[in-house]
Amino acid sequence: MKALSSAAGPAIGTPPLLEVSGLKKHFPIRKGLLSRTAGYVYAVDGISFTINARETLGLVGESGCGKSTAGKTVLRLIESTAGSVKLKGTELNRLSRAEMRPYRREMQIIFQDPYSSLNPRMSAGAIVGEPLTIHRIAAGKEKAERVASLFERVGLRPDHMEKYPHEFSGGQRQRIGIARALALSPSLIIGDEPVSALDVSIQAQVINLMMDLQEEFGLSYLFIAHDLAVVEHISHRIAVMYLGRIVELTDKRTLFDNPLHPYTEALLSAVPIPDPKIKRDKRIILKGDVPSPISPPSGCHFHTRCPVAKPECTQVSPDFREVQPGHWVACHLR
Amino acid sequence: MQHAQAGIGHAQPSPLDEILRIENLKTYFYSREGVVRAVEGVSYGLRRGQTLGVVGESGCGKSVTALSILRLIPNPPGKIVDGAIYLEGKNLLTLPEPDMQALRGNDISMIFQEPMTSLNPVLTIGQQISEAVILHQRLSAKDAMNKAVEMLKLVRMPEPVRRAKEYPHQLSGGMRQRVMIAMALSCNPKVLLADEPTTALDVTIQAQILDLMRELQEKLGTAIILITHDLGVVAETAERVVVMYAGKKVEEADAAVLFANPQHPYTQGLLASVPRLDQAATGARTRLTEIKGIVPSLHNLPAGCFFAPRCPLADNQCRQEYPALRDMGRGHMAACWKAGQNSKGVA
Repeated sequence: MKALSSAAGPAIGTPPLLEVSGLKKHFPIRKGLLSRTAGYVYAVDGISFTINARETLGLVGESGCGKSTAGKTVLRLIESTAGSVKLKGTELNRLSRAEMRPYRREMQIIFQDPYSSLNPRMSAGAIVGEPLTIHRIAAGKEKAERVASLFERVGLRPDHMEKYPHEFSGGQRQRIGIARALALSPSLIIGDEPVSALDVSIQAQVINLMMDLQEEFGLSYLFIAHDLAVVEHISHRIAVMYLGRIVELTDKRTLFDNPLHPYTEALLSAVPIPDPKIKRDKRIILKGDVPSPISPPSGCHFHTRCPVAKPECTQVSPDFREVQPGHWVACHLR
Repeated sequence: MQHAQAGIGHAQPSPLDEILRIENLKTYFYSREGVVRAVEGVSYGLRRGQTLGVVGESGCGKSVTALSILRLIPNPPGKIVDGAIYLEGKNLLTLPEPDMQALRGNDISMIFQEPMTSLNPVLTIGQQISEAVILHQRLSAKDAMNKAVEMLKLVRMPEPVRRAKEYPHQLSGGMRQRVMIAMALSCNPKVLLADEPTTALDVTIQAQILDLMRELQEKLGTAIILITHDLGVVAETAERVVVMYAGKKVEEADAAVLFANPQHPYTQGLLASVPRLDQAATGARTRLTEIKGIVPSLHNLPAGCFFAPRCPLADNQCRQEYPALRDMGRGHMAACWKAGQNSKGVA
């Protein structure tokens, strides 16, 4: 459990499993007949974090903050604009497609929508077995056996292998997605809103399954979600993102007890609590909407909605600093 | 159905200060695979100025109930086959269609989940809000536009005069939902049906919209039926709560009572399965309580209690006979054979 300590930088002794620094993804906006670049969407604008072995890092933020792009850029499903992604010390962004392949086995993804992320023309067994074929790990009877055991592990029956995605419920489809991600015995799984499309009672089943699998296989998760209560539940450490940047990163208890960034405070206070007895003394209601990532505000991206912004916040972008051991924040005032 | 013993549920609307009462509503859909009983004998009442939360998971019939109130069920395939819906004592299900039209958007209006698809993309915001006012309050086009701007001001839309001339795609999700609210409240309705009004919105925007709805309710005294799957939203806004499962009402109580002492194992399970931010503060990573299995298909409902296959307390009686709603005192109703025997927390 040493790896669960609250270090945002490399833990002492063991290097982190994943080390992301200064990662950027700017999507060009093309216009006109010659498709000239007319500007950029600054989806991910320089983020840094680490994930240790057997650890879950939660990445929260509102729609359009760049959290999903961040996940896909780490996997190189989207090529980054700048920055470095190191898996077990190897820089992934410089690898060729062929060199990248063994590292793809190490990193898998579970998508949000269990309806569109499974091929409707493939049986559930073929979907889960496909990675084994592509990476030439198993074939024939051996493959069938491995797929069957994966099915059992995620709570599906082996006779479900013959069925097609439309024959499953949302929660079962998400289990298929999890089995597919597990097939290559990865060390890191990126969950991109893996439970947001599910009903409340099914959500709990999938969260519990993911936590059990982490124990059993020693997995690390990058858990991307907008639901703070879910992230809070499953994560060891949490990174809060706003308009392409991480504004705060710390262990979940510190984040909850002592949030430092005004955006984190507002986010925490906005989450409704299912207990009418709990009356909050102060709810911070942010004014306005999240600005467009095409023309993010100058200085601190949050200053347009920040209740405590100072003149310098509109000019100078705050550094992402470690203010207490393991507690990183990007705010001039903290 | 069976709750006549509780003193309510007669054919006449109750003498309480109820503005709306749904009585034994049955809305079915006729499909090739058979009859889907989307709403199967649901009754509940809404008091003046009150917020009633209707909770349940997808397919439980909570939205179909709301659409039935406005008689907006597409027919075919859907049909209201039985029941009554009283608005101030008047049964809406027997009204001729022109009377119903005069009532929609005027006495009862609705806010939908997805503000983008519920707004007309080729009309300006101002025109869309004016439409209802011109129709129901017979204002001139000019006066109606002034009223629209006034409504936009009421829902705290920034720059209301300019925004009234804009189209839905020019607005953010939160602003579109403000427009929906402005439109719904423009004729000062007695009842507002809000179907997942904040589900498509981010938490910080959700907080803004819920805050606005609360403020407007205080100001205008509108009674609200808030349909949602989010127990947190219900806990913060509703005074009374109805829990639905597979087309039936399984529990109803005042919000404080329901959250403190849920009687139906489904309600108990739902409350236990939601991760809670206020409890995460301990730093521990514990397992959530699960409700086993999946929501049954409405094509193929189990015999007996619909929740029995997933219920930790189910016995033979539960698997054979659907339990009637029973009053557990002070208007706390639950449809469960085991209700009252177990106090709290099945786990």
